Amino acid sequence: MAWAKQGHDAAFRELVRRYERPVFSLLYRMVRDRALAEDLAQETFIKVLNGIKSYRPEFKFSSWIFKIANNAAIDHLRRKSIDTLSLDGAPSAETPEQVRATSLQLGDRAESPLAEVENRELGTAIERAIARLRPEYRSCILLRHVEGFSYEEIAETLELPLGTVKTYIHRARNELRGYLEDRRD
Amino acid sequence: MTDLTMHLTTDEIELWAQGLLPASRAIHLADCSLCRVEADRERKVILELVQLPKFAPSAGFADRVMAQVKVPTPSGDWTA
Repeated sequence: MAWAKQGHDAAFRELVRRYERPVFSLLYRMVRDRALAEDLAQETFIKVLNGIKSYRPEFKFSSWIFKIANNAAIDHLRRKSIDTLSLDGAPSAETPEQVRATSLQLGDRAESPLAEVENRELGTAIERAIARLRPEYRSCILLRHVEGFSYEEIAETLELPLGTVKTYIHRARNELRGYLEDRRD
Repeated sequence: MTDLTMHLTTDEIELWAQGLLPASRAIHLADCSLCRVEADRERKVILELVQLPKFAPSAGFADRVMAQVKVPTPSGDWTA
């Protein structure tokens, strides 16, 4: 880290190499779209590396980078929930062309090679159960059990009170248990 | 001192799943079928989570990032 702060290309590359998989995995599980997750991961690393001089070493570097990645995912999910797409096209569409242009094209995506990869990677029962969690629960549970963060580190990373983090994780695990047990029944 | 008859909390169940539950509480778990059922269910989910794979971005990811990063030189200059 000290090396990266002094400005060494090799140190920057090493940081990308070390964190690209964990950061990308978190984002991919948050947004469930490979191309988008990659854009958000790229945005995260650019922000982190261009702002490396503002990094405060009293915080863990991993907490800092995951905070930026998680914010990128949450911002995207909020925007997406506002820009609701309609299968029937935008309400303002008046001509058949406008309806076609603004309607959600499910078929295109479902048949693309990338969608096949996504189905393979995120199609298991546990991945589908994670996808059903609220985004805040999803971030907490992934940081806890996939990244191995402590509750305190998650609280620092997500800027949440410790009690809230514990509650989210316990509720998330309960919901996951419910989804997985439903599957087995 | 924890009462031996007290059921395990969710935090304690997580400790148990990680093999970190103190012996005094493990005694309760050994004797309490309710806690054992609960702990087993919890452990199954935790195990599924910790075994999740890490995904890699597509090839050339680091190059695409580095192309957009301004690398500061030790003298304080910036290179594109």
